[in-house]
Amino acid sequence: MKKNSVVLLTAAIFLIPFMVISGCSKKDTVKKQLTLYTWAEMFPQEILDGFEKDTGIAINYVNFEEDETMLTKLQTAKGGDYDLIIADDYIIETAIAEGLVQKLDKSKLSNYRNINPLYQGPFYDPRDEYTVPYGAGVVTLVYDPSRVSVNIRGYADLWDPSLKGQVGLLGNYRVINGMALKVLKQSYNTNDTAVIRQAGERLLGLAPNIRLIRDDFLEEELLSGEIAAAVMYTSQATAAKLENPELEVVFPTEGIGFGIMGSFIPSKAPNAEAAYAFLNYILDARRGAECFEYLGYYSTYTASDPLISDEYKSFLTLPAGFNVNMEMIQNIGEEAEEEHSRIWTAFRTAAGQQ
Amino acid sequence: MNKQGFLKKGYVAVILVLMYVPILIVIIYSFNTSRLSSAWSGFSLRWYGELFRDRALFNALRNSLVLSLSSSSLAAIIGTLGAVGTERTADARSLRARTGKILEYLSLLPIMIPEIILGMVLLVFFSLLALPLGMFTLIIAHTCFCIPYVYMVVKARLAGLDKSYVEAAKDLGAGDWRAFYDITLPLILPAIVSGMLIAFAMSFDDVIVSVFVTGPDTNTLPIRIFSQIKTGVTPKTNALCTLLFAATVILCLASAALGKSRSNNRGI
Repeated sequence: MKKNSVVLLTAAIFLIPFMVISGCSKKDTVKKQLTLYTWAEMFPQEILDGFEKDTGIAINYVNFEEDETMLTKLQTAKGGDYDLIIADDYIIETAIAEGLVQKLDKSKLSNYRNINPLYQGPFYDPRDEYTVPYGAGVVTLVYDPSRVSVNIRGYADLWDPSLKGQVGLLGNYRVINGMALKVLKQSYNTNDTAVIRQAGERLLGLAPNIRLIRDDFLEEELLSGEIAAAVMYTSQATAAKLENPELEVVFPTEGIGFGIMGSFIPSKAPNAEAAYAFLNYILDARRGAECFEYLGYYSTYTASDPLISDEYKSFLTLPAGFNVNMEMIQNIGEEAEEEHSRIWTAFRTAAGQQ
Repeated sequence: MNKQGFLKKGYVAVILVLMYVPILIVIIYSFNTSRLSSAWSGFSLRWYGELFRDRALFNALRNSLVLSLSSSSLAAIIGTLGAVGTERTADARSLRARTGKILEYLSLLPIMIPEIILGMVLLVFFSLLALPLGMFTLIIAHTCFCIPYVYMVVKARLAGLDKSYVEAAKDLGAGDWRAFYDITLPLILPAIVSGMLIAFAMSFDDVIVSVFVTGPDTNTLPIRIFSQIKTGVTPKTNALCTLLFAATVILCLASAALGKSRSNNRGI
């Protein structure tokens, strides 16, 4: 027995360098490779497979879990290492400001015209030089009409006393504080701390109605009846609506906040050509429609809108004649940011959600 | 007496239920047709099909296995050497004994400082050395926080070891190396293996340190699963958990069976 274990240990020692080498040398063997850096599950497997088959470019799909992590890695790599990144709007503004993003050569994107103009010229890229939008998230109000007696038309209705202990909220403080700002007819991005403080006081009135505040699985709580109304992310609203078509999705009358996920090519991408090929591949109307159905975010390509199947249409495309006041959440000043986090803490404490 | 037996059994049952019901639910819902886990909408193998088509996921799984095997093996070697080394200085009331004590505290640092700081510090360190981020940096980082687990377990085992075994071996003419190889090593081997197992588990499910030191080619499984929060965790992850759980159970049963036949042999 003793001898055996010694042999095993020796084998393990010899195995390690081999593993290290095999782990490292992979990089050189694959030349035609696209390093795609974004969250997991952003594309249907068919699209990824189809791209590899049609172009012969292998996709190396790597993930980050937070935008800030992505920025750190990109800074460390000085704009290299990754070929195509998809991330949230506000972080792209920072990445562009730091010179980590390259300008797009639109002649390489024959499907560029498919993009919905509504999502063009955003604050992070006002002249559309750097990014292509991939999916938009709208902060959505969803409720179960069978369990709610009020007719919810806007954020202000969430304050209704009949909803005591029945409301679920997502955990992004800019979104939730912004909800109170909207009720006060203010901008999401106000830098006026007095206004933010006022919103904070308004928000405290909502506390008794709050059942839970969390970012994940909100849709499941709504479906199981744990909560009757919720402010949630688009993908969650889509999942909930698919499961229970009776649920009502509301575009709040006060105006809605939305965010765009943007795709961009880092300044020193090792294989920018592959990134262009992939961007153009998903910008195709039909493939775009497949992607958005899978992703559950609003379609950012006008050409894809008519191709989205009826089952999904009502919550992946904006209704015709859509004229609710839309505003994107942007980076704000430091003082305003501090005030936001202060009123958020006070609200969470009052709602018993520490 | 009887009542006490009932209490004991009840207690064990409650603990077992608390531990295994969540896993059972994960397994059951891996066979759910629906994407959501709040409603059961029929039996299907759909998610297993999707799992096997997802090459990025298997890539991540492979990376994770290579990473945790390598870092726990390296940690086993370094941790064992460290434990044996500091143990030797332990009983001498000398300057060396004190350095040994200091070294011991220092070696436990990687698990005492918050992971997020460890990750950031390592990232800064690697970029200072201009080391390309990837499997190599991942292995270094993971080995770093795996060493203390092996070290602590082996050290505890060494402390409980009767020194006269080694002394007897030396009396009979064995050198330092021979005494270590023939006496100490076989005696502490169970501790090394169990320390290595803890290290493996720690490395296999680490997200925070990995996120900082991973490179453009090395996605690990925990990073991938964690990054699904944005788009929603699908039962594909349940399916993967089920398979990993099954593999673990099979390994445990196999090792138990091996141990049994071995002890039978020894009995004869």
